[in-house]
Formats: sequence, structure tokens, C-alpha cells
Amino acid sequence: MMNIKRVISTIEKNYILSNLKKDQRLDGRDLWQQREWSVKSNVIASAEGSAEVSLGKTQVITGVKYDVGTPFPDLPNEGVCTFMAELLPLASPLFERGPPNEQSIELARVVDRGIRHADCVQTKKLCIKEKKAVYIIFVDIYVINYSGNLIDAGGISSLTALISSKIPEGKWENDEVVWTGKYLTGDTLVNELPIVFTYGKIDDIIFFDPSLPEELVLDGRISISVTEDKITSIQKSGVATFSIEEVEMLGKKSMDFGKKLRKDLNLWQYKL
Amino acid sequence: MEDEKEEINENPTTDASDDVDVDEFEDEETSRNLVVPGEILTEDTKNFLPGRGTIFNKDRTKIISLNIGLKQVRRNYINVIPLRGFYTPRPGDKIIALVTDKNPVKYICDINSKDKGILKPKNTVARGKPRRYRGGPPDRHDNNTDKYKIGDILIVKVLSADRLNKPELTTVGKYLGKRRDGLVITIDTPKIPRVIGRAGSMIKMLKNLTKSNIFVTQNGRIWLKGEDIAHERLLIDAIRKIEKEAHTVGLTDRMSIYIENEKKIRGMN
Amino acid sequence: MPLVIKDEYPEKLFRDDGKRLDGREKDELRPIKMEVGVLPNADGSAYLEWGNNKIYAAVYGPREVHPHHLSKPDRGILRVFYRMATFSVFERKRPAPGRREKEISMIISDCLKPVLFLELYPGTAFEIYINVLDADGGTRCACTTVAALALADAGIPMRSLVTAVAVGKIDGELVTDLSGIEDKAGEADLPCAITWFNEELSLLQFDGNTNLEEFSKSLSLAKDAMHKIYEIQLDALKKKYIEIQEEFNGGEKN
Repeated sequence: MMNIKRVISTIEKNYILSNLKKDQRLDGRDLWQQREWSVKSNVIASAEGSAEVSLGKTQVITGVKYDVGTPFPDLPNEGVCTFMAELLPLASPLFERGPPNEQSIELARVVDRGIRHADCVQTKKLCIKEKKAVYIIFVDIYVINYSGNLIDAGGISSLTALISSKIPEGKWENDEVVWTGKYLTGDTLVNELPIVFTYGKIDDIIFFDPSLPEELVLDGRISISVTEDKITSIQKSGVATFSIEEVEMLGKKSMDFGKKLRKDLNLWQYKL
Repeated sequence: MEDEKEEINENPTTDASDDVDVDEFEDEETSRNLVVPGEILTEDTKNFLPGRGTIFNKDRTKIISLNIGLKQVRRNYINVIPLRGFYTPRPGDKIIALVTDKNPVKYICDINSKDKGILKPKNTVARGKPRRYRGGPPDRHDNNTDKYKIGDILIVKVLSADRLNKPELTTVGKYLGKRRDGLVITIDTPKIPRVIGRAGSMIKMLKNLTKSNIFVTQNGRIWLKGEDIAHERLLIDAIRKIEKEAHTVGLTDRMSIYIENEKKIRGMN
Repeated sequence: MPLVIKDEYPEKLFRDDGKRLDGREKDELRPIKMEVGVLPNADGSAYLEWGNNKIYAAVYGPREVHPHHLSKPDRGILRVFYRMATFSVFERKRPAPGRREKEISMIISDCLKPVLFLELYPGTAFEIYINVLDADGGTRCACTTVAALALADAGIPMRSLVTAVAVGKIDGELVTDLSGIEDKAGEADLPCAITWFNEELSLLQFDGNTNLEEFSKSLSLAKDAMHKIYEIQLDALKKKYIEIQEEFNGGEKN
């Protein structure tokens, strides 16, 4: 498509919409088809866990690092898992350098909420000594190439990075944290596999997994995170409105997509 | 570095609608010899001069390539036909512009170069008598910017372009003006001549075999419209393949075989 | 609070068999892999793996200068943004760029300027974004090397490529291409880069202590290494095109 610029041409938007009305997309997919996934783990030697994930041409690299710190006063025996996302300028001329902007903050927060409310990361197992020392897990998502739908790619890459983590296990001895010689692995950290699915809407047409040109012209977007049997988080953005029936339909579709994708990707294979 | 302030000429020299028959990739004098920046092209500086994409070294004992490209020897000039590069507007170029902003006295357009292009109202209306309508004043847009909107795709010609001023454009002329449908893709600017082909051979073949309308312009942008999305998809895949294999021989024949094959595989006619 | 496992360095940087801790000879380079044209949205791009270093570089330009007050009326400007990912180092790094990153950005920019013709592009900017996703010693040299490739991939006219390497002294011995451990625990670190069009040094820093003889020897080790790395750069630039040519070889035209 045309070079990515902030102004999108009218003919491009018309082209995409008129084809969507006929159930057609330029990359050959139908409205409910997701692009191809490619997942690799343990790609960053310096990180405790890492994953490189591509959804179509969108590529993200996520790394897990840990720190040891004092817990929050209201959660004295729980560790903390925090998400950050960086939209690197090398991923697109649309991404400006500088501190995180709305887009990167939204990406981090949507991925965070989808995982947090599924009780996915076992923060109670991340306590070394109540009130004194807990693990702080950092999940940092770096976007390497932007070709639409960063949220879904960010979600899978975060899960994979957490599952593939190997974090030195500490115990409390003589008022300090000492290494036990062992490691915490993905099965200690991760309990559930929540997956997030994003849909776009132009006019009154809804479609799955927006590619870049579609994402630049859509009127609205909705991301739904699901586990095997529960919806764990939803984020709607953009000016489009969704009817209640549409939302329910998308919730059910997401659950079905989730079951299939969990099987296809088999993320537990990345546990060390 | 003072003696090295030569103009570095990076543009393709073809133009779709004029059917100029220069496709430097198909040229007899263009080798398939791939060179990179800093590579020595010759040490025979008595018999050869640096041409496009090349330069003398400091003591003028060697001619060096400035770009990644194909070495070409033309008479006593050594040139490098670049395989990668950016678009620099030149007067006479036909290009595709996207209106990104406007004010009452001009349109500001993205033309895939470092500068935005300026389109003045007087260059959007042909000279001559205005059409008269019964009652009401004549409908002229030569003194306002009502004719085009932000987001419009225009085929324009570059009227003037130099290092100090932003390029000026016009929509007055054959094939020029606003496009109301179709889509635009962007390829590497240096590969544009390859999509046109010698005497337009490649573009003619693409048009016929994919039953599409195509307009190839100098700033790397190509407007196209096929009879349906399947044909447009095939055409775009074909153009991407040309982009990737521009530096090889026998490309035109290979492309027609590719398109015929793909039509079979994709169940198209 | 400190991490569970501390970042500690071994006493000796040579094994009993005389080789370095990763098995290398004193003048041996780590494995290096390079690829160009890896990021479709940038004007030019390259990827590099050098030992455990993993680095992406992307070039945009010529483009408008932002913020505008930095633009020069008589020439283009080159801006380099060297940044390390939070997970690229042993202890998680804060995301915001620190002083070290800003200094290295400037050093790399000064290093690459001599090969460009900035005076031909007044009022514009060339921007190079270099992101280190995994760091293991000699990152500024690896970044310079991959940035030069990205510039060539963008089709920006260059007098030549630029190649960089870090040599140093560990346990009293001069070695080529310091790894992360050798960089941190060693006695001297000499990162340098050469611009091939005039075969002169355009990046040069030094930290440590060496006598004049050792210093000379270090530069000579560096030059040898840079020739080898240059071959890898050339191969990466040409490889993509030559592979396609060979696939459809319809007769060489020379």
C-alpha cells in the first residue's frame, strides 16, 4: 500500500471498505481469518525469558527481567508483574521517538489487563519474605515492525516470554536474599493462558485481525481477552459504536478462536 | 571534500505515458556486476570518467561507486545504476501526490520525497474560457482551493524543483488530475523503469495479462485498478516480484510466465 | 535491593589451555551474522548478531527536520539514536535513554558523517535508529558496523562503508573483540572504526592502561580484524541480490 503517512487517501479507505462489504481483503483473507503466527522463545541471552513473535508482518520482541524489592503495603506477600511497551521508530515512520505515548501505553495496559485478570501470573508465588522481599517481574514489549494489530502480537509474545522464563530462586536468610541454586520456571510463574483477540470496524462491518492499511482507516476497534471458559478483559477504542449483539457475538467468537489458537500454538512447549 | 560537490543524479529517466524506451536495467551496457559504496570500479582514469552514482577518489587515481547498484559502462563514462534510493523531484516528472493539507492559497501534498509539493490553484485549472451556466457565475477554481480535498490522490506533473524551494506541481495536462477509485502502492523508486520496461514492454504485458489499468509514476508510486480484487492482488504480487528481481536478466519473459501460472493456480481467467 | 544472583566476574580471563573463556584465540572474532533490508517500513535497515549482541538499525532520510530549529540551511544533519532495550543487560535497564546512550549516539554520528555528502541535502535530516536488544560487549562498535550497512541499504550515497571493532587487554594480554565479561573485567578497551575510502580512523576511544608498544600493537590487531569484518559487511550487502541472480541465471553480462 502507499507509504505510511498520517493522512490516508480517500481512495484507499474506499477500496478497503468496498471490498470488506464483499467479504474480501487484499491479503486474501476472509473477515474472520487471522494472519499467520510465528513464535520463537529464548532469543535474548541477557533476559530471564524472551520471545520473538510475528503476526503477519507485525513483529515484536518481548523480554522478561526480574528485580527484588519491597512489596506493596496492602499486598505484603505478593510479588508484582508490570508491563511496558515501546513502539520503536524503526518499526514505522509513524512512531516518534521519545517517552511512551498514548498508543504504547494503551498497548501495555491492554496486554497487562488481559493477563492480570485471568490470574495468569502467580504473584503469590513470587514472595521471598513477607513484607520484606518479593520479586518484581518486568515484561517489556518492543515493537520491531508495525504491520497492524500490535495488541494480539503483544499478548502472545508476553505469554511466551513468561512461560520461557528462568528466574533465580531466592530465599530469606540472615536478613538478606540468598540464591537457593535453583530457578523458578514458567510453570511456577504462569497459571492460565489468556489470549487477546482484536477486531476492527469500518462503517458497520466488523473484521478480525486488522492489517496495517485496515488499522489506519478503521473507525473503531475492540480487543477481547479470553481463557478457556471466561472473558477476562475488554477494550474498545475509536469512535465506532458496537451493538450489544455484536459484542456478545465477538465474545463467543473469541472464546472459539482461543480454544483453537491455544492448541495450534501450544505455548507450553516453550517452558524451560 | 570541496571538489566533490557534484550533483548526484538518482532518478529513473522513464515516464509511463510518454513511452520513452529507456530501461536501464535491460540496457546492453548495464552489466549484472553488483557493486557497493566504496567499491573500486576502475583504476584506468585516463580512459574513463565518473558518471552517475560514481566519483573520483581524492587523488583521482580511481573511480569509486557511491551506491549499491549495477555497474554500467557507456562510452567513456562509468555509471552505477542504483538498486536502492529515494525520489528527488525534477521538472517534467509525472508523479502521484496525496493532498495532506490545504489553505486558501495552496494545496500541500505528500510526494514521497523529503519536501512536500505545493499545488497552487492556478495550476489546477486549464486556461481558456470558463464554462458558463444559465444564471449563476462561472465555476472556476483558479483562485480558491475548493477543487480538491485532503486525502485526494492526484496525478500531477512537477513544474519546478530546486534545492531552495519546495517543488511546484500542476494537475493541468493529459492523464493528470484526481483519481476517484483504484489504489496506490509504493515501490523502490529506482525500480520504476523496470516496471515500465523497454518501450513500455513490461507495463503493456502487465496490463494485458492482468486486465488492469496501471499508471506508473516517477516517485515510486503506482496507481492501479483491476476488474476485481483477485486481479489487483495478482498485479501487486507481480510488481513486488519485479521489484525484487529487477537486477536479473530475462525478467519480462519470466514475469509473463509467472502471471499465467498464478492465474491457473489461483483459478482465475 | 540486590538481585538474587550478582553480576560477578571470574578471577582469570584465560583458561588453562591458553584460550579465552569462550574458547577463542587472542586474535579471534566472535561469530558474526549480518542481514540487510530486514525492516520494510524503514528507508534502509540491517540486523546484526555479533557474539550474543543482537542489534537492529534503521535509517530514515532524507526527511524534514524535527525539531525545526536543528536544521541547517547549507547542509543536511545526521542524527543517531543508540538505545538499549531494558532486557538487553544483566540488571534491567531503565527504558529512558541515559547519558551513556547519548554520548555513544554522538560518537557514532561523528564516525559516520565523513562518508556522507550532507552538503548535498540542505535543510534535511538523516536519522539512524539503533536498538540493542541483547548486549555482550563492544556494542558501540557493532552498532557502528550495522548502521553503515543500513545507510547503504537506504541507497544514500556513501564514499565507502565504515567498520568498527573493539580490541583490548585482558590479564596482561592483547586480544581482539572483547566479549561482555572481558570488557567489564579487563584492563583496557579500545573501540575504533575505520572509514575505508581514506583508511583512517573515524571512531576512537580508549579506557585502561597500556604502554606505547601495546597501544601500537592494539591498533594493528584492530586493523586486521576490521578487514575481516568488512568482508562480512560486503557479503551481507550483496548476498540478497546475488542469490536472486543465481536463481535466475540467464547468462552473466560483464
